[in-house]
Amino acid sequence: MKRNWLIGGLSMVVVLAGAAFVQGGGGGGAEGDGEVGQPIAFPHDKHAGSEAGQANMDCQFCHYSAERSVDAGIPPVSACWGCHQVIPGSEHPEEVAKIQEYVERGEPIPWVRIYKISDHAHFPHMRHVNAGLECQQCHGEVQTMGVLTEPDDAWGGANMGWCIDCHRDVEGTSAFEQASTDCAVCHY
Amino acid sequence: MAKDLGERADGIRRRDFLKAVGVSGAGATIAGCSTGEVERLLPYVVAPEEITPGVATWYSTVCGGCASGCGMWVRTREGRAVHVEGNPDHPVSQGGLCSKGHATLQHLYNPDRYHGPMIREGGVMRQGTWDEGERLLAASINGALNPLPDQPARGVLFIGGYMGPTSSALVDEFMLAVGGDRVDFDAVSDAPLKEAARIAYGVNAVPRYDIGAANLLLSFGNDFIETGTSPVAHSKGFASMSAVDEAGGEKGRFVYLGPRLSLTGLNADEWIPIRPGSEAAVALGMASAIAGPDAAGPYANLLQAYNPASAAAAAGVSVEAIEELAGRFALEPSSLAMGPGPGAHHRNATAANLAVMILNHVAGNVGTTVFYEGVSPAATASYSDIESVIDAMASGDIGVVIVHGTNPAYSLPSTSGFVEAFEQVQYKVSFASAMDETSALCDLVLPDSHFFESWGDSTPRAGALAIQQPVMQQVSTFDSRPSGDTMLAVLGHLGSEPEVGTFYEYLRARHETAHDGSSGDFETYWHQTLRVGVGESGATDEGAAQLRAPDTALSFDTPLLDGSDDGLTLLVHPSGRFGGGEFSNSPWMQELPDPVSKITWHSWLEVNPHTAEERGIRNGDIVSVSSPHGSLEVPVWLYPGIREDTVALAMGGGHTGMGRYADGNGVNALGLLPAEAEQPSGALVTLATKVVVEPTGQSRRIATVEGSDDQHDRPIAPAVQLALLGEEEHEVEGEHHEELRELQGVGGFVPVPAEEGAPSAFPLPGAQHGEYADAHDGPRWAMAIDLDKCTGCSACVTACQSENNVPWVGENQVLMGREMSWMRIERYYEHVDATQADDLDVRFLPMLCQHCGNAPCEPVCPVFATYHTPEGVNAQIYNRCVGTRYCANNCPYKVRVFNWYRYTDDVPEPLNWQWNPDVTVRDNGVMEKCSFCMQRIRDAENRAALEGGRDVRDGEIVTACQQSCPAECIVFGNIRDPQSRVSEVVASERTYRVLDELINTQPAVNYLKKVTFHEVSSGEH
Repeated sequence: MKRNWLIGGLSMVVVLAGAAFVQGGGGGGAEGDGEVGQPIAFPHDKHAGSEAGQANMDCQFCHYSAERSVDAGIPPVSACWGCHQVIPGSEHPEEVAKIQEYVERGEPIPWVRIYKISDHAHFPHMRHVNAGLECQQCHGEVQTMGVLTEPDDAWGGANMGWCIDCHRDVEGTSAFEQASTDCAVCHY
Repeated sequence: MAKDLGERADGIRRRDFLKAVGVSGAGATIAGCSTGEVERLLPYVVAPEEITPGVATWYSTVCGGCASGCGMWVRTREGRAVHVEGNPDHPVSQGGLCSKGHATLQHLYNPDRYHGPMIREGGVMRQGTWDEGERLLAASINGALNPLPDQPARGVLFIGGYMGPTSSALVDEFMLAVGGDRVDFDAVSDAPLKEAARIAYGVNAVPRYDIGAANLLLSFGNDFIETGTSPVAHSKGFASMSAVDEAGGEKGRFVYLGPRLSLTGLNADEWIPIRPGSEAAVALGMASAIAGPDAAGPYANLLQAYNPASAAAAAGVSVEAIEELAGRFALEPSSLAMGPGPGAHHRNATAANLAVMILNHVAGNVGTTVFYEGVSPAATASYSDIESVIDAMASGDIGVVIVHGTNPAYSLPSTSGFVEAFEQVQYKVSFASAMDETSALCDLVLPDSHFFESWGDSTPRAGALAIQQPVMQQVSTFDSRPSGDTMLAVLGHLGSEPEVGTFYEYLRARHETAHDGSSGDFETYWHQTLRVGVGESGATDEGAAQLRAPDTALSFDTPLLDGSDDGLTLLVHPSGRFGGGEFSNSPWMQELPDPVSKITWHSWLEVNPHTAEERGIRNGDIVSVSSPHGSLEVPVWLYPGIREDTVALAMGGGHTGMGRYADGNGVNALGLLPAEAEQPSGALVTLATKVVVEPTGQSRRIATVEGSDDQHDRPIAPAVQLALLGEEEHEVEGEHHEELRELQGVGGFVPVPAEEGAPSAFPLPGAQHGEYADAHDGPRWAMAIDLDKCTGCSACVTACQSENNVPWVGENQVLMGREMSWMRIERYYEHVDATQADDLDVRFLPMLCQHCGNAPCEPVCPVFATYHTPEGVNAQIYNRCVGTRYCANNCPYKVRVFNWYRYTDDVPEPLNWQWNPDVTVRDNGVMEKCSFCMQRIRDAENRAALEGGRDVRDGEIVTACQQSCPAECIVFGNIRDPQSRVSEVVASERTYRVLDELINTQPAVNYLKKVTFHEVSSGEH
């Protein structure tokens, strides 16, 4: 396979020049994801919102390892089905029915990833959750959002300055102790 | 053919490069930053209870890499094995693991594994289903046993390699059911040792050695550190025996007797370079001198015929050397002599091992350092067994042959006629997991699962029983099945009704039957054994063995050799990296520098420099090596550690059908050997012929990673004489030191008084960059490496490679000096004399990033990609690095390596499953080096934070190299904590830091000098 290694080199130059670093991820799915850009039109607000008609579930009910692992975890299909085999869904039962299809086929639901930090950075969820950060501080008010197709404005994970702002706490606005800004805390 | 990595597939010419810059620069830039691809998050359908995403799950199991059966912990992430470590609870390996043990991970993800059952149809292999394959095997067995009326009945034959006791029992049951025969064959065999134990003690097993309990150790050519019965256990014992004790007074002495210094030999304090094959004469001569004229016992008459003078004549060394050694061996309260073992089997190998047993007997070592216990974990299957069936196969009497766990088409001399005979068998079946030379000849391949995917057991020693449990599901790329399950299914098809359907049930039932209830109910015992990895078995020591009269006539003479008298004796020995060739398709093993020669990928012929000079041969010259049995061409490597009349070749090269990493590299040394069994053990003789070595006129560059075998008068790996420990005057080795000291201050380095460079003087000037100027009250990580314990075995190198996603680069890149290993073991000769009994001094030095407090690499980085962390680590930030390589240029230790290509992209599916998800997989254009296992530091910190924000405990962070080291010579920890283990070790008077006094780098890696018995040379060697 022919590969231009200059691509890597030039991208380094761009990083150095301080140009915007566009992160892959959001921006719609592939075939099969339908118009909503996800394989199932999963509404976060229906599940995590606290308004009337919303389930007011804790984020970690589904993202079950955020408190004890570097990965927040995404719910197994069986977790969706655990509730939805008795809750057919009031507004979009056809979407709920898709869960059953995945369960019956024994296939994972191929969610489109929205929030991603580069492979060369390590983000331990548990350290942040246990320090008392709310999920919303990075991910935005997810409990008010419908189908997620792009990162919230609160998210700046494509840009290290956004991490450093909090770690360094320049303005002293954060309620937390200053965290390490040592490069090797995240990059190794 | 090996992949030619010199002309790389993604290579780009300068012209193309310039074109691409002109035309597509902008577009490429955007493509480089944003993949544009949608990334999917795939959840479990049903989450397994024991798996937390992002958290490693560990399983204990038994290493199936060789017959030693070391205990293993396997780290799995999201259901994939990603790293292996030694199991500290295992009674034999006690937490260590060798290089090959790590490389078993590459067998699991070997891209050349069979993708499913393979069936030959019309001369071509096609993939079939398991049901189809198993029915074919059953039908072929039926057809051989119950032929058509006009056909003769033919036999069924099983050719096996080493397997655990329960697997072996099932094979016996299977062959009993079909009325066939079974023979075993191991390329590397302990058969002569085992046969000698049977003759001398009536115990049909290899002896167990307690090396750690000895004060004087003799090895008669036994390479116990690298290729012996149990390398990890023996390395551990050797380290505890030979290392100076904490008080600094006691140290065991090791004398090596043999024609060639193996890795074990390089660790000796004295070398007596005896003639090949003279071990028996030397051992008996010594035993005779110890026992004296009134020797009693069954071997008294034999001892009468030997004395030190006859021993010296046979060995070609001085009488005084033998007498003196015999005297010491007798006087020493705790001594041990080890027979040749599997290293080199000459025609009287059993007698040689027996002679050493007699020597141990007369010195009173039986029951104190050597034990005959009746349990044999080692591979001892012999050549004569397979020799006996070659005729049967050739005559067409065999209808079906099943090959499992052995590769005779490669590991037998071509003159054995195995391949021709094998082809006469009507239906040839292999259980090989991955392709090899033998399965390529077969009509049906029913691929066995890897031991990480299947059940098994082992008896590592008397009284212990270990369970090998699967650590993950089958690698989905490969439709394999455990051979035990296959055999049970075939038995079912043959009409016999096995009591159990799976090998797991078979194994469990067998252990349940054997369980005597003394250690609680079976269920509890079973779970405990699975968790710990090892349990008690009913079998115990059968009491002290008694020497008895021989029932077999043996010749203790130096054996005759084939070939012309003026030739050089050829010694073919197992390889520490490849064993007998089983590990040759692991790129880790191919690129691991051989611990003795430091050569990667290709084979070499070891020739003494004097011999070479006489014949006009230079290092790297390609020579033709001819014996009466064959000839081959191989490059020469000049080695002072081999007798002038001997040359040596390692096994494991010259594969022709094992896979992409093995094929085409090196030569198969067995091609020079006769197909002959040693009597009476039946082992294949590997030291049997003289060879003629002639230059071909061609030469090549050796793919070595060695910079120099000489320290060039620099105190890189200094030593201290035992007698001088506790004295003040041993700090400086050699007068050369003062001259070099004058160079201080040149090149920007400011000399500081020694006490300011002490570990307590941190934080150091080099650490005070930018915002790190503030004092940091956290830990300061440091390492200590005890060179008195290090044997140079290189287990740490492979452990590091596995843990840190270090790529391999291939032979041509190694030739360009581009090997990527983060660790290397330097080997320096100080005193090596192959002509007489003399002191031996060879230094090993594991070299990794020294994490200098005043690091030369840091100030030259234009983008601050390498810098000092507040915790004292010299960090390398890959995403900052732009690849100027100034840092590597400025590193005095040569420990920084550069990604010239996307080496990791070349790793084929599913071999890339081995990547450790906790460590960034580096791209091209990036510098890298040892990170002190930063991911393990972070993991420990994260765990401590979760447990109420406690401090990280001393010993909680264990680096990959440290964990693997069988000699336990590496300690890691917080040097700011005076109570930490590393602080205690570094407080030793032997502590020094490499080149620190010369260039003021103030490394965080502290070495403890090797301790010698002899006076340390002053540079004039």
